[in-house]
Amino acid sequence: MGQERFADIADRFANGYADLAASASPETIKRWQEELERGFKRMTNLAQMVQHPVEPRTGQTPREEVYRKGKARLYRYASRRAHKTPLLFVPNLGISRPYIFDLLPGGSFIEHMTKQGFDFYLLDWGVFGPEDNELSFEDCVVKILPRAARKVLESSGAESLSVLGYCMGAPLSASFIASHPEIPVKNFINMAGPIDFSKVGLFGLWLDRRFFDVDRFIDTMGSLPADMVKAGFKLLRPTMDLSTNLNLWWNLWNDKYVEGFNALNKWANEYVAFPGEFFRQWVRDFYQGNKLYRGELVFGGRPVKLSSIQAPLFVVGAKEDYIAPPACVRALIDAVSSRDKDYVELPGGHISLIAGRGASTHCWPRVSSWLAERS
Amino acid sequence: MTDVSAASQQLFDLWKKQLEEGAASWARSLGQNPTPTPDPLSFWKPAMEHGLQTWARIFATTPVTPDLMGQWKQFLDQSIEAWSKALSQVMSTEAYAQAMGKALEQWVTAAAPARKQTDQALEGTLQALNIPTRAQVTGLARQLMDLEERIDRLDDGISAILRRLEGGKA
Repeated sequence: MGQERFADIADRFANGYADLAASASPETIKRWQEELERGFKRMTNLAQMVQHPVEPRTGQTPREEVYRKGKARLYRYASRRAHKTPLLFVPNLGISRPYIFDLLPGGSFIEHMTKQGFDFYLLDWGVFGPEDNELSFEDCVVKILPRAARKVLESSGAESLSVLGYCMGAPLSASFIASHPEIPVKNFINMAGPIDFSKVGLFGLWLDRRFFDVDRFIDTMGSLPADMVKAGFKLLRPTMDLSTNLNLWWNLWNDKYVEGFNALNKWANEYVAFPGEFFRQWVRDFYQGNKLYRGELVFGGRPVKLSSIQAPLFVVGAKEDYIAPPACVRALIDAVSSRDKDYVELPGGHISLIAGRGASTHCWPRVSSWLAERS
Repeated sequence: MTDVSAASQQLFDLWKKQLEEGAASWARSLGQNPTPTPDPLSFWKPAMEHGLQTWARIFATTPVTPDLMGQWKQFLDQSIEAWSKALSQVMSTEAYAQAMGKALEQWVTAAAPARKQTDQALEGTLQALNIPTRAQVTGLARQLMDLEERIDRLDDGISAILRRLEGGKA
């Protein structure tokens, strides 16, 4: 079947529509009119987006800074504080900015949690420069997280805290909780955080020590630049931009959709570099060595054994998560000693847990209700 | 209308299955021959031809509906999804990972001397102009971070003493 036949078939297809137009019912004509109106609206919104782009107002939930260390900032969000136990939220370090968690009013995880009465603290790791290249995963676990946790306890006046790790924030939090039994962690939540790196999917294969020499890379480059982080994530789903733009075109008539798209698109294209030593340790000990899951890590002279975690645990995986596939997230359930533990697997991908309509209906209420019972 | 959607769906499913099977055999052949193809056009050509043929087949058999735009959107969505699956299959092979690793290695090998040369030239120029170099500014920032760490340790120590004192009082 070649080009000629393709043209013939397309012609026949077009003729079919010509016949349909000739014998169109009022319902069909109405639908076409609607589509035409949407087409005009699409063009108007497209012109608006190109000529007068609006800067999305992300991160609107009121907050105050309670601690800073290096580039890291600990923020406390305003809420009615109906629950005794404060919540420390630990997101990923590098890769992207944390305003995705407080994207827009009505579509913000932080807004949801504060409305549910949680005393919510966010640890923003910051945007790294060459001066941060010595910062390692171990530094985050030994120097930053324990202090952030103490500041949460101090400023809230509580006796214990809950910790929620999202994405890379989950192995960071798990390493911290496992190596600091003196910090009173009452509950632990892992949202889409990889734990068993033998099941981590494409990134695991690409970063395999047979194909990727992380030492040579970091020794030469000093860090993992933001552009390379972007390239890695784009490669993971090469058709993502195509489907995003197609969906934008399809929904361009809808002002609400366009507003959400602008905010999410801003976030999705703002990548953050990895500090060199952090990336080296992240790849070598986690992706290549799977040392967290195997219990072979020692941070600050303390062994990191997941089996020493006894706090109630809630693990949330996403069915179509390519960054942290459900199997590698779920592994935490069997690795800890907690008696009260639960796992849910929700539809969607990695980001679907924290942004979008699905997140606010399927994910956030599950997380907040599990935590509310234990806070 | 339901019949039309079901027929379209059946066709899409068939097409996706064919594409996935094609990609699987493609991935297998890549696995047997780990040397990356030098010509990217010839690498993608079989897939492009296959795609074109499939589009033509879909045009020939898709029933005509009043919802032309909706039908196109459905078709494009499923095409993109099928392409995504097919590409994922290829990218999940060790041959692909090896090729990517090699490309990165070559890039790093080429980048290292160029980077060193640029840094040296820039540093020389900035020093001649009596302007702080990147290394000097970075060094200063690191000194500040060291100081911050020392203050934090003092803070930790004072907090620990206060806690002990409060414990003693109680």
